Amino acid sequence: MFDAEFTKHRRDFPVRLSLQLGAAQSVGLFGASGAGKSTVLACIAGVEQPDDGHIDLGSLRLFPPSLPLHQRPVGYLTQEPSLFPHLSVRENVTFGVPKHEVSDPERVSWIATLRERLKLAPLWDASAARISGGQARRVALARMLVRKPSLVLLDEPFAGLDRQLVRELIDDLIFWSRTVGFSMIAVDHQSEVLMRLCPESAIVLERGQVVQHGTWSDLRRTPATPLLRSLLAPL
Amino acid sequence: MIASHRLVARIGAAVFALALLYPLSALFAHIGAWQWDAEVRGPALSSVRVSLVLTTVAMLIVVAIGTPMAAYIAQCKAMERLLWQAAMLLPILLPPLALGILFTLAFGPYGSVGRLLNHWGVAMTNSASAFVATQVYVGMGYFVLGAVAALDAVPPMLQKQAALLGLTPIKVFFRVTLPLARLGFAVALSIAWVRAVGEFGAVVVTAYYPSGMPVQLWVDLQSFGLPAVMPLLVIFLAVALPLPWLAHVLAQRRSYV
Repeated sequence: MFDAEFTKHRRDFPVRLSLQLGAAQSVGLFGASGAGKSTVLACIAGVEQPDDGHIDLGSLRLFPPSLPLHQRPVGYLTQEPSLFPHLSVRENVTFGVPKHEVSDPERVSWIATLRERLKLAPLWDASAARISGGQARRVALARMLVRKPSLVLLDEPFAGLDRQLVRELIDDLIFWSRTVGFSMIAVDHQSEVLMRLCPESAIVLERGQVVQHGTWSDLRRTPATPLLRSLLAPL
Repeated sequence: MIASHRLVARIGAAVFALALLYPLSALFAHIGAWQWDAEVRGPALSSVRVSLVLTTVAMLIVVAIGTPMAAYIAQCKAMERLLWQAAMLLPILLPPLALGILFTLAFGPYGSVGRLLNHWGVAMTNSASAFVATQVYVGMGYFVLGAVAALDAVPPMLQKQAALLGLTPIKVFFRVTLPLARLGFAVALSIAWVRAVGEFGAVVVTAYYPSGMPVQLWVDLQSFGLPAVMPLLVIFLAVALPLPWLAHVLAQRRSYV
């Protein structure tokens, strides 16, 4: 169970969020660029510090005090795959595996499953610095999933990818969310991506404030603000 | 840029580079037969040994102390970082002779630390420890500031991702930060090395004995003249230059290829 209520004061406006999320549930954070969506994810990941409130993940308190990053069972994918360029694809994927678990049969089998499903076998020994953008996203996804996080945060990780690849990655994420049981909070400014990834519910942010929280059909039927209506309208 | 302009610019650059390298041509100057008899050879080879061994010890100390300091400065916020960098800059900006005099005063019988060291039997003038300590002071600022620049070039998000993958800060440093900054560290160390091994002004005050290469060159020049200096000068250039030169070339190549 994820339970958070916090405020982060930015230079332009404060960003506030209140959210409860069950295991394997997902929610899409939707809003215009600069609404504070990425700030919310950064605070939950621990990359930024909220100014007040609390963030709990199950029995684990992430904030306050701020739990060190390495103790957070959280996966965080951003627009930049942030692969380690001095390592191979294999070394990137297995980066988070503790030394004593490298030969653990269950872990080995899980890595093989990820490698197969994400089509990483042909790249396995390639340098991470020399693979394409789409391949890098798949490697980043595998690297994050290797540790079986309890919560996955997705900050527009599909930006710039072709639709076919986006569909595949979304399907993979949904599949593993059910298999592993992690919850997902995703950010995107494209409603169709979020609707597919987090079909259950959405939170709409405008200038750091939650202006609507509900199902996607609620949002479409009764958008809370003119800006939201405009964001949901077809091109 | 059109081809003819490019050619003119290239010729200009070549003239500039040749003028800059021109002093090296003096290695082939006609100054008579080089002197390398026992009187010159013994102290010269001893100075090579002193310079190489003691500068290596100094650089080990510089890396051991300077790396954590650089890592700390690299993660400081603007004002605090400015403060530390200003402190690191000061020994660099001090004229070497002034540094030598201040060092001798501070670590000699006039300074509290000097009295304490003397009490423990550590002589801080004309000794190997004085030589090493002076070189540490001379090279530390260059290494730390260079290492901070190298650490700054590592994308912070990579370090954060590594931490979110379960690595403690120390493991993040050794598995991500240092490998990505290693060339910058090599450049920083090479600058510190070349600065320390070639140091004359400060060392001549603090550690005239044991004589390193720069001091021995000065002694030979005074005692025997140019022909006696040339062999040691060639050795000096051969041990001091290749490593930093190669580190810089590799770093540049890495930046532009």
